[in-house]
Amino acid sequence: MKRHALGEQYGDFAQQDETLQFGMWVFLASEVLLFAGLFALYGSYRAMYGADFADAIKHNTLAYGTVNMYVLLCSSFTVALAVWATRRGRNGLCVAMLATTALLGVAFIVIKLFEYAEHFRERALPGPYYHMAELPTYGANRFFTMYWLMTGLHALHVTGGVCLLVWLTWRAAHRFYTPEHHVGLEMGTLYWHLIDIIWIFLWPIMYLA
Amino acid sequence: MADETAAKYHVGGVGLIATFVGLVVLATLSLLLSFLHWPVGDLVVSLLIALVKALLVVYFFMHLIEQPFSSHMAMLVSLIWVTLLIGLAAADVVTRHTFPVRPEPTEGQPFYVR
Repeated sequence: MKRHALGEQYGDFAQQDETLQFGMWVFLASEVLLFAGLFALYGSYRAMYGADFADAIKHNTLAYGTVNMYVLLCSSFTVALAVWATRRGRNGLCVAMLATTALLGVAFIVIKLFEYAEHFRERALPGPYYHMAELPTYGANRFFTMYWLMTGLHALHVTGGVCLLVWLTWRAAHRFYTPEHHVGLEMGTLYWHLIDIIWIFLWPIMYLA
Repeated sequence: MADETAAKYHVGGVGLIATFVGLVVLATLSLLLSFLHWPVGDLVVSLLIALVKALLVVYFFMHLIEQPFSSHMAMLVSLIWVTLLIGLAAADVVTRHTFPVRPEPTEGQPFYVR
């Protein structure tokens, strides 16, 4: 089996790569719209319960969210370096960077689980399961419902992203990607960057302001 | 051969490092500004900083700067829809006042009424 096959509908590899990348950008745009619905709902509830949301944000542990922000920024850098290394034929560096990115993704999930455990202990849970004595308001209930929905969906994406990174690492370790043919690697890394971008917007609205 | 292939790309190693440093600086700035506790500006400023960070990631880490116009269009159209969705939803809540805020629960009252 050829590792880099040209589809019969394409004139050359450049056209094939461009089409695949365009498809990936459209997929990412659909992911953005998926999260946009939740951001719109968050914005609407925040307009209704501004003071309660401010109290709930202060209650969240800033350190967890901030450390995770830096973890994801570092992971975006390492995964970008993986593509950079492949383009220059440095396959060993690419494998190392992909593995590092996967480990950073695992670190993000572990930190998030510690935070979720804390919320669970204080009953800051979504919807009808919310019973936090410290903030007994409907607004705080709405905030933590949105918090679990948005960060939960994001955490699922991170988990999927880590699985994808492990697969990319395995393929890179088997010298699947070359400086001329690595569109699959580029598409996989685009997904990971999107995960970073979503957290870039979740961090301020859940922890900062 | 690898060097020839790499030469056609716009974003080099220095560009990636500069982007990363920029992202870390912006994240730290956002964090420090949040300690000032501005009454309204907090959210607006932190979201503006987030937008700049997202653009840095999209253009340099995701190499959109190297992509053809069609890929730019996919992101641009998506951004327009996001702006419409969030903007109109927020405008509806803020201007129509059709959703009165319920009074807070009193002691003994079930917290969540279906």
